[in-house]
Amino acid sequence: MRKILIITATIFCLLGIVFTILPMGTIAIIPIGLALLVAFLAFKKSDGKQQNFPKIVLFVTGICILLVIGKELFIKDEIAKDAGFEKTKIENKKEDKKELEALESDLE
Amino acid sequence: MKKILFIFSTFLLFCSFSSENTPNIKSGEKLVFAGSYNMSGLMTQLAQITMTTETVTTAKNTYLHLNCEAATYSKWDSFFKIRDLYESYVNPLTLKPSLYKRSIDEGGYTKKEKYVFKGNQINSTMKRKNKPETQKTFSVGGATQDVVSILYKLRTVDFSKYKVGQTKAFTIVFDESEIPVVVKFMGNETVSAGNLGKKECYKISIGAKTDALRGKDKNLIWLTADAKKIPALIKFSIPVGTGQLTLTSATGI
Repeated sequence: MRKILIITATIFCLLGIVFTILPMGTIAIIPIGLALLVAFLAFKKSDGKQQNFPKIVLFVTGICILLVIGKELFIKDEIAKDAGFEKTKIENKKEDKKELEALESDLE
Repeated sequence: MKKILFIFSTFLLFCSFSSENTPNIKSGEKLVFAGSYNMSGLMTQLAQITMTTETVTTAKNTYLHLNCEAATYSKWDSFFKIRDLYESYVNPLTLKPSLYKRSIDEGGYTKKEKYVFKGNQINSTMKRKNKPETQKTFSVGGATQDVVSILYKLRTVDFSKYKVGQTKAFTIVFDESEIPVVVKFMGNETVSAGNLGKKECYKISIGAKTDALRGKDKNLIWLTADAKKIPALIKFSIPVGTGQLTLTSATGI
């Protein structure tokens, strides 16, 4: 039972780390929360030195939670300035004007 | 990648519809939306959608340039960058399109489309990444709109005269084919409309005969119940999931 809990906690912990790195927002809380819960159960089922690994998982997931909360609080959703995209838009406008003038000539 | 393409295309597609009044669309209008996608039951913000209007003048005519662009938030750019551009040049009075362009760049997948409206005929040009350019000419109805201009057309409909459940049929052109669209008025609801605060809105269901939309009355748009009819909230259901666009800022209205 203890081994199953440790394996499950480790899987959720790894998922939590991946979700924390990715810009998944608060979705990361799901695997992290599950990792915390299962790691806590594994900790309770363990004795002495056996408690070390669940402690590590609890520590890592704790850090992940802090990172997720920090990212939510301090990193705002914004669009990066994209010079290439802006250039495309300006070029498009010039092309479009020519296209419209050609259309007007065709319709005459 | 296709999810995002689908979401954005669907947004434009299901926001479509028709007019009965004089257009109230002003040049210089800017609407900004936050686009979210449902991931494991939680809405995750992915991109910003910006809709702007601008007057464009040629030697002989004046057009209203309707511009709609989608860009992923910078935190997503490293993983999956999107820069989509949908444009329509329309008659400022009738909102009838003359030129429609679509340029998408989604995680490296690119596609460009151009429709030139010549009366009841459309000359289309399409270029997909690593594929040769194709051209096609096809006929459409006189009232057919493109997916951008139809959204603005919808805003000219006087929903205050509609009864709950009342419908109206329209036609749009998308992916080189005409698609019938049915709009159903579902009543009034109050929703948050970004910097406009909480607003009473017309709740409208969009149905289109296309695989792009799923479910009955699951594709919805809330338009402010005033003369401007600003889209305050849009919810969509597509084969790959559900999502929504929430208005964050409306200026120049």
